Amino acid sequence: MECRDMISLIHEYLDGDTDELTNQHLQTHMKTCVSCRQHMHELQRAIAFVQSASHIHVSSDFTARVLAQLPAPTKKNLFSSWLRNHPFLTAAAVFFFLMTGSLCANWFDRDNILQVSSSNMDKLKIDRERNVVVVPAGISIDGDLVVRNGNVEVQGEVHGNVVAIEGKVFVASTAQVVGNTESIEAIFDWIWYEVKNIGNDLLPALP
Amino acid sequence: MDFVEKRLTQRAKRGDREAFAELIEIYKDKIFQLAYRMVGNRQDAEDIAQETFLRVYANLHSYDDSYKFSTWIYRIATNLCIDRGRKKRPDFSLDEETEPGQGMDWYSRLSSSERTPEEKVVTQELQETVQDALSHLQPKYRSIMILRYIEDLSLQEISDIVKLPITTIKTRIHRGREALRSKLRLM
Repeated sequence: MECRDMISLIHEYLDGDTDELTNQHLQTHMKTCVSCRQHMHELQRAIAFVQSASHIHVSSDFTARVLAQLPAPTKKNLFSSWLRNHPFLTAAAVFFFLMTGSLCANWFDRDNILQVSSSNMDKLKIDRERNVVVVPAGISIDGDLVVRNGNVEVQGEVHGNVVAIEGKVFVASTAQVVGNTESIEAIFDWIWYEVKNIGNDLLPALP
Repeated sequence: MDFVEKRLTQRAKRGDREAFAELIEIYKDKIFQLAYRMVGNRQDAEDIAQETFLRVYANLHSYDDSYKFSTWIYRIATNLCIDRGRKKRPDFSLDEETEPGQGMDWYSRLSSSERTPEEKVVTQELQETVQDALSHLQPKYRSIMILRYIEDLSLQEISDIVKLPITTIKTRIHRGREALRSKLRLM
């Protein structure tokens, strides 16, 4: 084989592309051929020189300088990075948003049908024409009385709260109400009422 | 490593500057090294490295992360280096003999530009000789020799970076080695 062919074999060898047989072939040739041996040696030396040249670092403020040249962050990016940095506040905000949403939905989704909730329904007098729920005189009701879309007239006794949502509570002079009476007519009253209820459920020990 | 880079590029894509700063930290020396060996002086090399990262940032939205991030950033840097060379300096032919005056020009240009103390230590005779030998290669050979032997990349990666088939890369490496050999043999 000619030395010219050997040179291209040497390059293949340097790229790690030669098999065992070719390597042996190359070795045998180089034992006898001084110029090829020399050539190979010089190539390896050149590679080693280039590889030795790799010790240089960029100046230490490089990163800061690049960052300073970046375009200003958009509002959207600022907002999303704020959210990432404050996970607890984000969770609280989401919770608050959903709570408000469901309360409002409760408020707006109602129909205009008179609804009454009490543990002593049979003792109540419901006047559908006037949209009034009456607690007759001389009658005593245990537990809360909640009425929606109507007024409440209390002549007897109620051992609990009396609440009228979208309505009014009339308390006669003979009446006795152990708990609070409340008329809820605006959405903020409604939200406050719901929040108070949640609070009361969570803290049953408080009066 | 690839996983970390993937996460960082995804975060940087969404505009996270901290993630982008981490990417700079990972690649700044590699890119600067490539640029320095391509253009031969610190100032231009830093300019190119900066420009590389600014372009990366501006084009993050078009980066497809099924490819390696390193391939992409090396491609941007290599192209910038070659463009810069076209504008600023005449190309050297592989076969061109060095004229006596040219070595002096190169040397005086290097020493006249500002150098940090760190660089003074690093830049010794051997380093200058290597840099000189590299600067006499045509840019298309120079970039591939740098990627192969200084950045230590595989033939496959280089082929991905310059978008040329491996056989072409091999031919260029063979010629590049021969050119470096003839420059450095007398040392």
